[in-house]
Formats: sequence, structure tokens, C-alpha cells
Amino acid sequence: MNRKQWNPGLPSPETLKRYRIWDSYFTPAHGHPGDDGSNALVADIKRALPAIQKGRFERACYFPHVGIGTTSDQNLEHLLRTRPDVVLGPMTRWPKFLIGMIQVNSNDVPASLKAIDRWLADGPMVGVYLPGGGPGARRCDDPALGPLIERVAELRGVIMVHTWFKTGGKRNPSESTPSELAVLAARYPEQTFVCAHAGGEWQRGLRAIRQHSNVHVETSGFDATAGFIEMAVREITAGRIIFGSHLPSRSLGTELAKVISADIGEEDKRLILGQNFRRLLRVDSK
Amino acid sequence: MLNRRQVIQLSLSSATVAAATSDAMGAVDPDERIIDTNSHLSRWPFRRLPLDHVERLVNKYRSIGITEAWVSSFDGLLHRDITSVNERLASQSKMFDELVPIGVVNLNLPDWESDLQRCCEHHQMFGVRLYPSYHNYELDDPMMLELLRRAAENGRLVQIVVALEDVRTQHSRLRVKDVDLSPLGEALSRVEGAVVQVLNARSVADRSNEWSKIDRLYFDTARVDSTDGVPQLVEQFHAGQVMLGTHAPLLIPEAALIRTHESGQLDVATLRAVLSGNAKKLMAGLAS
Repeated sequence: MNRKQWNPGLPSPETLKRYRIWDSYFTPAHGHPGDDGSNALVADIKRALPAIQKGRFERACYFPHVGIGTTSDQNLEHLLRTRPDVVLGPMTRWPKFLIGMIQVNSNDVPASLKAIDRWLADGPMVGVYLPGGGPGARRCDDPALGPLIERVAELRGVIMVHTWFKTGGKRNPSESTPSELAVLAARYPEQTFVCAHAGGEWQRGLRAIRQHSNVHVETSGFDATAGFIEMAVREITAGRIIFGSHLPSRSLGTELAKVISADIGEEDKRLILGQNFRRLLRVDSK
Repeated sequence: MLNRRQVIQLSLSSATVAAATSDAMGAVDPDERIIDTNSHLSRWPFRRLPLDHVERLVNKYRSIGITEAWVSSFDGLLHRDITSVNERLASQSKMFDELVPIGVVNLNLPDWESDLQRCCEHHQMFGVRLYPSYHNYELDDPMMLELLRRAAENGRLVQIVVALEDVRTQHSRLRVKDVDLSPLGEALSRVEGAVVQVLNARSVADRSNEWSKIDRLYFDTARVDSTDGVPQLVEQFHAGQVMLGTHAPLLIPEAALIRTHESGQLDVATLRAVLSGNAKKLMAGLAS
């Protein structure tokens, strides 16, 4: 048997190609890109490439650090702040594949505003990411984030927020829950937010955001628990769900199976796997 | 309960499902068997699952090329009448060729020894499944050694479930820690012939030096995540110790299947061993 023809659990390559998969949550070296600004990042992208190719992904969005204090490594922060070419390295190497949303430092709003102007207004980044941990994390409903949210809204960028509902409560007070994102979303009804991981415990997460039509949910970051997508489609419709892979720390199997195996229609799968994200990014809607 | 005629009708409809989905799911080599060593029947206590009807579960297995599943019962987590849990499990499993029942034993119930005996002698089950965290004992408990000893005497597999759910998503009134596996090596060294499979472990890499030398110890892949997690597990131990487990129907079975091959790191022989060969060898070894 030729292993290349035996891919148990996966749809056919033709079916995958038809889905036109755009991954909204690609996490190579998510916490630190490496001492030289990209070595760990590039290594992790290469590590994920077999799965990306097997899944026939068209594009993937990652979350670069840009030197505004989102890591604890002062040397790295200086390097990224002073060498934009280093930040752009992976996008230069994979220009037709990578999309970027910068990680912002919610504890340094002025620096984040400058970075938003530098990387969103002038391109090539398409949005911002509010992390759940590290020195840049802060509860997303903190009013101090107001100027940052307003500037991204002016630039029509996407705001991706790491969220979790953890049994027993937060391990880290700076991490946001879907309920806190709902508070933020109510303040800015014209802005689109993405509730990354659907709160992890997605039954609560979906309930927390379902009344807020400007909140989408992202699908990665928790076990391949059956029934998630079915409930999400029922509660918020397929039009508000966007696929994320969390590769390489999670897997194609865990994350793609949530969607391809769900008891929903093929058109809904196409929306979730790529069409919705392209709509958020204002690229083609075909 | 279905009668034999209904089972036949279901089998016919299953074949239709399998044929209809074969294009979508990719070609399944009819000679290639896939064995899921970690599956459950009945209801997950905290919510309904899309595949928590046995017929739907079996249809799913047929549609994705899984030809055999070692099933236990979610009822065994909280029910105290384990004898009837195992009766139902055995009865349901008889209706489908794909299902191989693995009985539940709760070491904290009086007379658990009779449950084990019934699993072995009356139901002819080739293994039993333990849930130490849900049943509230540790692996260094003397009862555990006794269970291993009796299972070894009867030539039966013992499956130890490390976890059923991410601790971060559990019900707030039923929080269950992952099983501490540290006493396992010692326990196996004290019971000659004991054969154990660890299910649902997220990571066992820190014990690879000790455990890779124990050829009677096996693992499943159900919660081994990251794109190259399964090849790493095979590398840390030896290929013969790793067997496919999906943890269906709580987890989506396709997820575990895809993880075995998505990185492209396992050669064909190793992939076959993980997907079925090791399980077949284990069963044959226990039967001999």
C-alpha cells in the first residue's frame, strides 16, 4: 500500500481543496519566535507543513510579536522593535501562505497604538491578537483598552481574543473569558471580535457570546469533543464560526475533524473552514 | 434492544452509508483493518453526544474504516451496579461484529472480584477497564496489585483510564484529577504476566526510560496531541507499545485517525502496527 494514498479519517484531497481552507489560528512558536527573532518560528512552521499540505490549506494566520513587550525577553523585544525586516521574515518567506495579526500589549496601550499604526495602517498585518498570558495580557473588558479597540476599528482590522472558561476559575487573572469579551463587544457593536477557542468549555462559551452578533468563535485549542460544531451552528449559525488549526502544538486531526466530521451541511463547512474568515478579512467571498 | 432482524437491516443501511461516504472519506483498503482500542457505549453523564447510540457509533466506524472497537461503558463511571453495566455492555456488543466488550471493574465496590470473574468466565471478555480517579483509588493500592494478579492469572488485559476529560472543562461539582501513573512500573514488576494498556494519557514522555523496557505495557493515542505527537510517542517507547485509541464517542474518532499520519513521519509498517497490528498481536498473545 502506498501511504500517500491512505489517509484514514480525512476527506479526499479534492474535497479538502473544495473547502478552500483558511486557518485563522496558526500558532508556530506562539510565545517566543526564537533568539534571532524567527528561528523557532520558522522551525515550527516547517514542522507543521506536512499537516498543512495534507489538509490542503490555502492560507494561515499567525500572531507575530513586534517588540512592544509581549514577551519577557528584552533582547528579543529590542530586536523586533528595531528590525521590522525580522518581523516580516516569515511573511517574506511564505508570502502566499502567511497572514499576520500582531500581538498587542494591553498593558502598554501607547506602544500598542504605535504598533497598530505601523503594522495595520501601513500593512501588511490584518488585525490584532489579545493574548491570554504573558506580559501583554490583560482582561479584554478593561476600559483602558478603549483607545486600542477604537483604533483597530478605524482601520477595520480584526480583533482576535484568547478566551477560556476554566473549571475552578482562572489560573491567570489576565486571561479573558467569553463573558468578558461579550462585555467588550457590547461596547463596540460595529467592531468584529473573534472569541478564540470558543472559551474552551464551549457550552458555556457559546452561551456567553450568542447574543452578540459581532462576535465570531474560533474552533481550536481544546480536545476534539464531539458536538461542538453542531451546537455552535445551532446557537450562532455557521456564519459566525471560523476554523483555526492551532498547529503545530495541536494537530490537524484534532482541529480539522471538529468541522469535517460535524453533522452539518457541506455549505456550512465551507463557511467555517474559510469563507467566513475571508469575509472578515475583506478578501474574496467566492 | 434490537432483535436480529433489525440488526441485519441496520447492517445493510450501514453498508449504504459506508458506500456513500467512501468518496468523501478517501479510499479505505478493504484488506486494511483498523482497531480502536478505546471506545465507550452508553451515555456520557454530562451531555448527549452525537454518537451515543450504539448504532450510530457503529455506522460511524464503518464509514471511516474502523473494523473493530474495544468498548466499555460510560455507565461504569458512576453506577454502582457494575454487574448490570457489564451485562448490558456484553449484550449490546453481541449485536455488532465490530464491538469487543471490555468490562468495568470498580475496585472500591465490595466484591469487585466477582465482577472480574464474571467478565472473564461468563462474558468471556478479554480485558477489563479501570477508572481509578473516578472510583477513588491510587495505583499503589493493594487492591490494584490483586486485580493485576487475578487478571494475569486469567490472561486478561487491564486498561487503566488516566482521564476522561480535560480537567479545565470538567463539571464544577465533579472534578477528577488525572491518574498518577508513577506507581505503575513498580506494580508491573511485582505481578508477573500482567498486561496493561494506559488510555487517554496526554503525555508519558517523562517515564519513557522506565516504561519502554516493559513489553507488557501499552498506550493509546486518543489524547496525544500536537502534529507529531504520535510519532514522538512511538519513538519514545517502541512501535509495538502504541495502539490507536479514539476515545469515541466523547471525542471525534476521525481526530485520532488523522493524527497518526498527518506528519508523514511513520512508515507504512509502523502506521499499520499502530492502527491495528499491535492490537491484533496483543489479542493473539492473550488468547494463546
